[in-house]
Amino acid sequence: MNATNNKRALTGKDVITVGIFSAVYFVINFIFMLLGGFHPMLWILMPGLIAVFTGIPYLMMCAKVQKPGSVLLMGLITGLIYFVTGQFTVIILITFVISCVLAELTRRQTKYRGSKGNMLSFVFFSLGMTGSPLPIWIMRDSFLAQITEQGMPADYIATLKAVSSPVMLVVMVVAPIVGALIGAAIARTMFNKHFIKAGIV
Amino acid sequence: MKQIQKDRYLDPRMGALLLVLANVAAFSQKSFAVELSWIIYLTLLTTLYGCWIMALKWLTAFAAVLLIQWYVLPASPMVIATSFSIFANYARRMFPCLIVGMLMVKRTPLRNLIVGMRMLHIPQKLIIAISVTLRYFPAIREELGYIRDAMKLRNIHGAEKVECLAVPMIVSAAGTAEELSAAAVTRGIENPVRKTSAVQLRLGAVDALALTAGIAFTAAAFVIK
Amino acid sequence: MIKIEHVSFSYAKGYAALKDVSFTAEPGEGILLCGESGCGKTTVTKLINGLIPAFTEGCALTGKVTADGLTVAKTPLYELAKRIGSVFQNPKSQFFNLDSDSELAFGLENEGMAPAEIQSRIKETVLSLRIQNLLGRDIFSMSGGEKQTLAFASVYAMRPRIFVLDEPSANLDSGAMERLHDQIALLKAGGHTILIAEHRLAFLMDLIDRAVYMKDGQIQNIFTVGEFRALTEQQRIQMGLRTLLPVEVELPAAREAGNRQGLSVEDLTCAFGKKSPVIGKLSFSAVPGEVLAVTGPNGVGKTTLTRCLCGLLNEKAGTVRLNGKPLRAKERQRAAFCVMQDVNHQLFSDSVWNECGMSDSGAAPEQIEAVLAQLQLLSFRENHPMALSGGQKQRLAVATAMLSHKKMLIFDEPTSGLDYARMLSVARVVRDLAKQGHIVLVVSHDHEFLQCACDRVLTLV
Repeated sequence: MNATNNKRALTGKDVITVGIFSAVYFVINFIFMLLGGFHPMLWILMPGLIAVFTGIPYLMMCAKVQKPGSVLLMGLITGLIYFVTGQFTVIILITFVISCVLAELTRRQTKYRGSKGNMLSFVFFSLGMTGSPLPIWIMRDSFLAQITEQGMPADYIATLKAVSSPVMLVVMVVAPIVGALIGAAIARTMFNKHFIKAGIV
Repeated sequence: MKQIQKDRYLDPRMGALLLVLANVAAFSQKSFAVELSWIIYLTLLTTLYGCWIMALKWLTAFAAVLLIQWYVLPASPMVIATSFSIFANYARRMFPCLIVGMLMVKRTPLRNLIVGMRMLHIPQKLIIAISVTLRYFPAIREELGYIRDAMKLRNIHGAEKVECLAVPMIVSAAGTAEELSAAAVTRGIENPVRKTSAVQLRLGAVDALALTAGIAFTAAAFVIK
Repeated sequence: MIKIEHVSFSYAKGYAALKDVSFTAEPGEGILLCGESGCGKTTVTKLINGLIPAFTEGCALTGKVTADGLTVAKTPLYELAKRIGSVFQNPKSQFFNLDSDSELAFGLENEGMAPAEIQSRIKETVLSLRIQNLLGRDIFSMSGGEKQTLAFASVYAMRPRIFVLDEPSANLDSGAMERLHDQIALLKAGGHTILIAEHRLAFLMDLIDRAVYMKDGQIQNIFTVGEFRALTEQQRIQMGLRTLLPVEVELPAAREAGNRQGLSVEDLTCAFGKKSPVIGKLSFSAVPGEVLAVTGPNGVGKTTLTRCLCGLLNEKAGTVRLNGKPLRAKERQRAAFCVMQDVNHQLFSDSVWNECGMSDSGAAPEQIEAVLAQLQLLSFRENHPMALSGGQKQRLAVATAMLSHKKMLIFDEPTSGLDYARMLSVARVVRDLAKQGHIVLVVSHDHEFLQCACDRVLTLV
């Protein structure tokens, strides 16, 4: 395999490591995804919440596999599982590809080391989950049309419009940025407190 | 031991195509008749693959969503109505995707999924990573069970629990990554030759029929407004 | 054939794992690698299957290793995989698939073998290893022994010329060890070269031709099997090796139920999930000061019993009494502790000291110090628990139990993968705990250990 000739290509071990930490990432992600089912506001904030709690598996993966392609793999796995199990639309695959490409570029610029670069790449990566609530805006018009047809009162529709307003779209996008910064800080604390001392990284 | 009849497996390629179609429909269809026929068609398909209980559940759930949307939400207080009509709307649109997705989960063994991905020429590295992820899910469940037991015996409660879950979980993930890699690499996972598969996937008559109908419905979703 | 010439190796951290190691293995020969933990025997297995240098970036390797005509360091791992099969210690982390059939085909699919040929190879493997019962199974529902057999079979199907086994028996009961013995015998009969690193030696004595004894990264001695068998008990113990002869557990049976003092289990029935009862109407008792062994084949319900006694599982019927008083599950969680087989699951803190302070006993610093000193952990007080050795982790778990005043301690397979000295040290801890008035139960398959650490035996059937 070219992996043996080219040190920068992902080896079997790299790919397996990415697979394992993607599983840990996905499980945490999934728990908050379920939480998002309680209220649309939670759903909109979900990408942000997920980012807060998934810093550890993401940054652990980054520490273990300092090569191009690893983050893209992790994002594709997450997007594909959500897509194939029919829980989210194909939009989530698209957002993950975009966010992972940005994260990969960041990692390449920062030579795959250094906490700042990895932190920034985590911010981009976390934006991938915005593909989950994004259909609220994409389908907005047809949502509203359908609801108006049912003869709902005007103030009802007004509230709905507010939830799916462009302002909320901004909130939805900003949440994972803030969340990822918090998540990375939590991960850093845990790395220093546990994982470095324990000799895992 | 669960043994599923061979012909009751959903071909992963067919499942993927159906999913794409269901997605297209979710974004484009506007007619209730088309929506309803999609749902009925997919539940019929579900029974064809031997999951008639699941099919019944889907039909009931769909009816429930409609009831909520048409009768319960308009009669409920404003706060509830506004927040949940988004869900109800989204759920209705996602129904076809969910039905196909869950059918995949139930009726496409990991093994067939891998074979399907190989046949679709998906890069080998992505296939390996996904199969490791799916293989590690049950291991995570097992681990969490042990850790929970251990926490009970140590009388650990509250916020401490989260940190206590994270440490053994990550330590064990790192260890498994190392050991599983050794086991996989010494069995030739890095071999660049085209991997073969002991089992073969063959699209059957049911698959072909299902696919044709799926395409017809998607077309209908575009035409009938 | 395997040829190792003047190999020295050190890990990135700098300590020398191997110093000038040389030996050869002729085709069809069975070679045992033995010696205390850390002597370098696992490192030698990695030299042959190529994990060194492939998995050890930044480490220093000198010397030359050839196997079946290939220079290991210069051959891609997938080429080595066709000729050298590896079985590892941990049955949980060796399988790649969710179902057993895929696992059997795994190596062959990687080679790109034609499907029909894969099928016939698998059929043949199943016949020769007699593992029909493993076909079509969900691997997560399999016992450790079954998983290990499957790992072996999956390698066997690839028909490598050389087999490298790294402590394959570490997690096996005696039944599964017999199966492992027969599998290795089959390899032997088939003319394969076998290299096996092990602590438990008795079951291998009729399978090996030579034994390589290592110490501190060097080969001390290479024995023929005759010379090895002729070692006196004293020499064997001095070398730090486990017994070469099979040991039968000859202990008096567990006491009858009804003791007012200690643990008394009366007509206990417990089951896991909806399945039929695993433990049915079990009665016995255990008194403070005595160590009770619990044995029985895999799948007989030892884990279920352990979890029930610790209060992690509700009983379906029957009573568990401590000093005459019946205890409900919740109360048992307070009174009992289990040192798990994988002790990594039960250590949570960032240092040995803090781990002890975590228990909500409110133990005073002097108490913690005393307990850590007794368990020889005091000098590691600032170390991270996960950075300790396996035996130290076990003792730390014991320390937390002692500090929260648990009366009953259960050890689940405490000696898997331990060498002679470390096995003795576990025995000593177990004995000391009993002497201090704890009720101690030891669930284990390790006869040599049970015989020297326990007073009575409860055999589950």
